[in-house]
Amino acid sequence: MLIVFTFFITFLLLMAMGSIFVVASWEDIRQNIWSPEMRFSLRLSMITGLISTALVMFFALPIGYTLSRFDFWGKGFVKTITDMPVAFPELVLGLCLLLLFGNTFVGDFLNFVGLNFVFSQKGVVAAQFFTALPYAIRIMKSTFDYIDPRMEFISRSLGYSQFETFLNISLPMAKSGILASTVISFARCIGTFGTVLILAGGSYMKTEVLPITLYLNISYGNMGMALTSGIVLMVVSFLAIFVFEKAEVGF
Amino acid sequence: MSFLTIEDLHLNLGEFFLQEVFLSLQKGDYLAVLGPTGAGKTILLESIIGFWKPNKGQIYLEGENITGLLPEKRRIGIVYQDYALLPHFTVFKNIAYGLEKKEKKKETLGKKVREMAAALQIDHLLHRKPTTLSGGEQQRVALARALIVEPRLLLMDEPLSALDPRTRRDARQLLRRLIQKQNTTVIHITHDLDDVWALANKVAIFKQGRLLQFGSMKEVFHRPQTRFVADFVGATIFEGRVVKAEEGISRINVDGFELVSLDHAETGENVKVAIRPENIVVFKSMPTDASAQNVIKARLQEIMSEGTTCLLYLKINDTVFHVFVANNAVERLNLKEGDIVYALIKACNVRIV
Repeated sequence: MLIVFTFFITFLLLMAMGSIFVVASWEDIRQNIWSPEMRFSLRLSMITGLISTALVMFFALPIGYTLSRFDFWGKGFVKTITDMPVAFPELVLGLCLLLLFGNTFVGDFLNFVGLNFVFSQKGVVAAQFFTALPYAIRIMKSTFDYIDPRMEFISRSLGYSQFETFLNISLPMAKSGILASTVISFARCIGTFGTVLILAGGSYMKTEVLPITLYLNISYGNMGMALTSGIVLMVVSFLAIFVFEKAEVGF
Repeated sequence: MSFLTIEDLHLNLGEFFLQEVFLSLQKGDYLAVLGPTGAGKTILLESIIGFWKPNKGQIYLEGENITGLLPEKRRIGIVYQDYALLPHFTVFKNIAYGLEKKEKKKETLGKKVREMAAALQIDHLLHRKPTTLSGGEQQRVALARALIVEPRLLLMDEPLSALDPRTRRDARQLLRRLIQKQNTTVIHITHDLDDVWALANKVAIFKQGRLLQFGSMKEVFHRPQTRFVADFVGATIFEGRVVKAEEGISRINVDGFELVSLDHAETGENVKVAIRPENIVVFKSMPTDASAQNVIKARLQEIMSEGTTCLLYLKINDTVFHVFVANNAVERLNLKEGDIVYALIKACNVRIV
C-alpha cells in the first residue's frame, strides 16, 4: 500500500517534469538555444554560478568546521542566523539585501570601494552567494561532525599545527562532503530566482540569468524561450543531483 | 626531580570530569590506570596531551610547565583503543606521517619506517590501506605511528582490549620489548589486570573523576587503601623464586616463606604469584587438617572496618597482604591488632602469572 502511495507521488512528479519536454518542440529548442538572449543568459548563469559557488565554499568550509568542532559563546545564535535563509522566502532575502546594499553606510562604503551590488551583475553573484551559503554550511558542518576528532588529535600529537592538521587530515577526509556541498551550492546558485530578481533586477541582457529568462519570456508570452531555459535549468539540476548521489555512494 | 608531575588537576567536561588529581612519574615508569567507565581516565590522557585545557592545576614534563603548551609542541604520543588510523593513507604513510614533519630526506624516512615496521612485524603490510588490516595489525600500525617520532611520553587508551586473547598476549610481549628498548615512559589505561602485571610498575586507580590511590605495584596491590581499590585490583601479587618444581607442584620462595602452587614453573625461575584475598582463610590457631595447602604464620598488622566486612592486613617478614573477613568472624575469633594468626591458602589458589 505504502509502495503504491510512494509510486503515485513519484509518478506525478515525473509527469510534471516530463511535460516540459512534451510541450516543447525540437524546433523551438533548436531555434532558441542559440539565440543571442539565451547565449547571454546561459553564459552569465555559468560565470556567476561558478564565482558564487567558489565564494560559498571558501566561506562554508571554515564556518562549517568551526560550528562542528568548537564550542564558543554565541554559537547557538550564529547557527540560527546562518540557517535562517534556508527557511526564508527568497524574495524577502532579496529585499533585505537590497535594503542593506542600498543607501546605508554599508552600501555606501561598498560603493566607494567599487562593489555596487544593486541592479548589477555583481548583485547577481551576491544574491546567489547569500542564497546558497546556508545550505553549504549545513552540509559542511554535518560532514565534519562525522569525522572523528581523535584523527585530528593524533595529527597534532605528531607535531602538526591546527591549520596543517585541517589541510592534511580534515579536508581529505571531508572530500565527498565537499563535493556534495559544491554541487548543491552550484545548483542553488544557478536556480536562484527571487533573490536575484529583487537585488540585481531582471533586466534584459544585463542581469539576465536562466531563471530570469524563463520569467521574462513567460510574461511576454514567448513560450519557446521559456521552455528552453526551463529545460537547461532542469538538465543542470539533474546533473547536480546525479553527481551528489555518486559522491554519497563513494563515501 | 620527577619526569612528569600533575598538580591539582581539575577539568570539567560535563559528563566527564577530573578533580584534585596529583600524580608524578619518573623517567621509564610504566603507569597502569585502572577504574570503572566514566572515571575520567581518557580525559586525563587527553589533558596531558593538550586537547583539553584544565580548569585548574598544572602539568610539568621534564621540569617544564606544559599546561598551556600547544599539543604539537609537547612531543607526547597517543594510541587509542580503536587505533584511529587515517583511512585515506596507506600503512606506510600512516607510520611515516609524524616523522615527515622533521625528517625531510626521503631515504632516511623510508628506512626508519621500514625499521619500525620490522620491529613490529608489519613490514609486509606497508602498501595496504588500514581498513584491510586485522585488529592486531591495526594496533601495531597505531603503535608504530606513535613510537616512530620517539615521544617523550606515550599514552595508551586500552590499546589491547579490542584484540582476541591470543593476539593480546603477543601484542603485550611486543609492547614490553619495544618500550624497554626505547625506555619510554608510558601511561596505559586498561581493564585487564594481565596488562598491569605484565607491563606496569606503577598503578593509579580512578573513580568518578578522583584519583583514589596511586603508587608502586607493591603499594597498591598489597595495601589497597579502600575496599573499592581492593575489589578493583583483586589479587595480591608477590614476587618470588621457584626453589623446587616437582610433578604438578611448584615451591616458591617469597620473602623467606614458602608457597606451594599447582601451576607449572621451572626451578630457579623468578615468578610473580597472585592470590585473591577471598581465597585466604584466617585462623587464630594452627589449623589441624592442612594437607596440600599453604599455612602461613603471620602477624595481624591492622584491622580496617568497612561496613559489613573487615579488611585485615597481614605481615610476614617484609611482605604485607590483605584479607577480607566478615565482621562477626573478627568478633568470634577475637582478633586484635598485633595477634599472630594463620592464613590458609589452597595450593590451587596460588597462581603463577
